Amino acid sequence: MQTQNFTTTAVIMHWLIAVSIFFLFISSWWMLALPFPSIDFKYRVFPFQLHKNLGITIVFMLIILLYVRLRYRPTPVFSAGERPLLLRLAFLDHVILYILIFTCCISGYMSSSYSGWSTTLWWVLELPHWGYEDEELNMFYSDIHLWTCWALLAFVSVHVGGALYHAFRNDGFVRRMLRL
Amino acid sequence: MSGSKTVPNALGPAWASWLGIVAVVFGILLTAANVNEWMIQRVITSDGAAMQGMKPRCPEDELLEEGISLEECKLMIAKVRIMVVSRPNWFRDFQMSLSLIGAIIAFGSIFVGLALVQYSNWAPRAAVVTFSALLVIDALGFAAATNTGPLLRATYLWNILLWFSIHLIMAAGACAGQHIKDTD
Repeated sequence: MQTQNFTTTAVIMHWLIAVSIFFLFISSWWMLALPFPSIDFKYRVFPFQLHKNLGITIVFMLIILLYVRLRYRPTPVFSAGERPLLLRLAFLDHVILYILIFTCCISGYMSSSYSGWSTTLWWVLELPHWGYEDEELNMFYSDIHLWTCWALLAFVSVHVGGALYHAFRNDGFVRRMLRL
Repeated sequence: MSGSKTVPNALGPAWASWLGIVAVVFGILLTAANVNEWMIQRVITSDGAAMQGMKPRCPEDELLEEGISLEECKLMIAKVRIMVVSRPNWFRDFQMSLSLIGAIIAFGSIFVGLALVQYSNWAPRAAVVTFSALLVIDALGFAAATNTGPLLRATYLWNILLWFSIHLIMAAGACAGQHIKDTD
């Protein structure tokens, strides 16, 4: 089904994911500088739980976003002087972004699963413990989490740069994702 | 991807599009930063283990996992101690309230930015109010941080000054935009 703009659900999911991703970056840099957890040192408990909760929620939001984006596709906007190569690169950037967000979140959850720490979704729902305590697998998924997140930050920068470019041109491109 | 194309949505003035997208980008970053600040103050309490002279746990496997040295691990406790020692008694509650209000207004500024790009009728005035409110939040945060010790001032002041400058530019832009709209 084609629409002129993105749907309200897609717009809300897009901006909620954006805020969540930046919060996860900022908070993770801070929380990793806190003392390691122990019986006495509990400083990391709340930030890590919140980090995992948001990461898992982002996966659900991303699934909803992808569903509504594929179900209700906005018609491509014609803009004078738009180069086809840029359009193709923008499409590729979106695909890579979705893959990176998904991989980043899932690898974080897998790493946590093999760390021996349990995850209670938003302090309500005890999630099944898929993994067991295994330092090597924890490290393996942790490395994937780390590098996909750095890559995500790079591709988000490209994405934001592109959005700014279109907004400064005032060509109507970003307007579709800014309409509720 | 469909082959059919359409003309752009009806366009507002360029200044509204520029200011709007800037408001959205900074609104996202500021919301995240404020929620993070709220979390910092919530987590670091005055009666935690770091203030009771306990030694932090630094097992070798976890040092390896996070890629840090033993020296760094031992120093992590300093981060907590700096916050507790350098802040006055009232700072934690004040900062938690201010960052919560700041997060709400910053989140609202994202929607004001969206409205500016759409050039809704109410958007320029809402932008003046919202960006001015963010300026006030920055000023209050700056005043609070100046009353902490030098260790926290070093952490907060430059950061807040940067946000203050950004919001000053945005508020001035919104005022100018409102003026243009009124004279049209």
